[in-house]
Amino acid sequence: MSFSRFCIFEEPLPYPEAVSLQEQLVAARLADEIPDTFLLLQHPPVITLGRRGRKNFLLADENTLRKQGIEVQVSTRGGDVTYHGPGQWVLYPILKLGRNEMGAHGYLHALESVALQTAAHFGIEAYRKEGKAGAWCDQGKFSAIGFKFTRWVTSHGLSLNVNPDLGFFDLIVGCGLVGERVSSFAQVLGGQKCPGMDVVGDAMKGVVGEVFQRELSAVTPDRLLEPDASL
Amino acid sequence: MQVPEDLKYTESHEWVRNEEGLCKVGITEFAQSQLADLTFVDLPEVGASVSAGDEVAVVESVKAASDVYAPLSGEIVEVNDALSDAPEKINEDSFGEGWLFVIRPSEPGELDGLLDAAAYRGLLPEE
Repeated sequence: MSFSRFCIFEEPLPYPEAVSLQEQLVAARLADEIPDTFLLLQHPPVITLGRRGRKNFLLADENTLRKQGIEVQVSTRGGDVTYHGPGQWVLYPILKLGRNEMGAHGYLHALESVALQTAAHFGIEAYRKEGKAGAWCDQGKFSAIGFKFTRWVTSHGLSLNVNPDLGFFDLIVGCGLVGERVSSFAQVLGGQKCPGMDVVGDAMKGVVGEVFQRELSAVTPDRLLEPDASL
Repeated sequence: MQVPEDLKYTESHEWVRNEEGLCKVGITEFAQSQLADLTFVDLPEVGASVSAGDEVAVVESVKAASDVYAPLSGEIVEVNDALSDAPEKINEDSFGEGWLFVIRPSEPGELDGLLDAAAYRGLLPEE
């Protein structure tokens, strides 16, 4: 069992700030100034394009989107277009994958396990789809994945729809997968029975500890970049 | 895992083949195996001048994007355009047809600072 930090953000973090924070954490992790760290947060409404930047998967023009309060950002993660917003957790692990640990396949599998086991925790039957990254239930895809390796330190990661406004997903062809339905815990369980964001966040933390075999200690956002004396 | 003896290597899993003063660069068989099936490659511009350690290219598999670093300082004189339509060549032949770009080194001495095959092999997990 190795020791890692887990940071849950109380307030939504704008996408560009989350990118810049991750860049700083990746540099600090590369320099062994901080231990492996997991970020769990929500973004204000934003559509992000992967490095491939295929804007043909945007179904509305950027001005229309801005009028609805949605920013469009190009991201350095892998994968295609996706939507982030309130009611959706995003998990950004900053992990130094050792040379005897998992490569991209193993890491993808681990992220998918986080989504699947979190869903199972709330009684939702969920599964993988062969050849596609993410997690599905019968109603559609509820978790999208896209990440980056910087000298084998991970960034970006996974999104999980708890109770977002699914109407926003009509603005994109999620992950470039044409005809793919998007779902959420609220859609599956019914709005009344859907657990709150806090409850799901705590469950995700427990699942992350199991899937990655880590002992997790809580850290607040303001202390993320403080060098760790124990290293 | 193949680690050809006649190449130089970096700790970030690039290989360098010195071809009469021009250096061909790619990623190693180990790196491609860790990234799995590659679906997209973003190559540098021909004519770009780079410093050793700069992020100069990106390779991307299903959902993972990974940076490729310049092993040497110099000018990019050629890129492997064939990869745009066939990034899987990197998986199939990482030391051959899967090469990424060619650098004309501005500081050829840097070549001596790279790892030889034995040293690079020492970085890899034991099979």
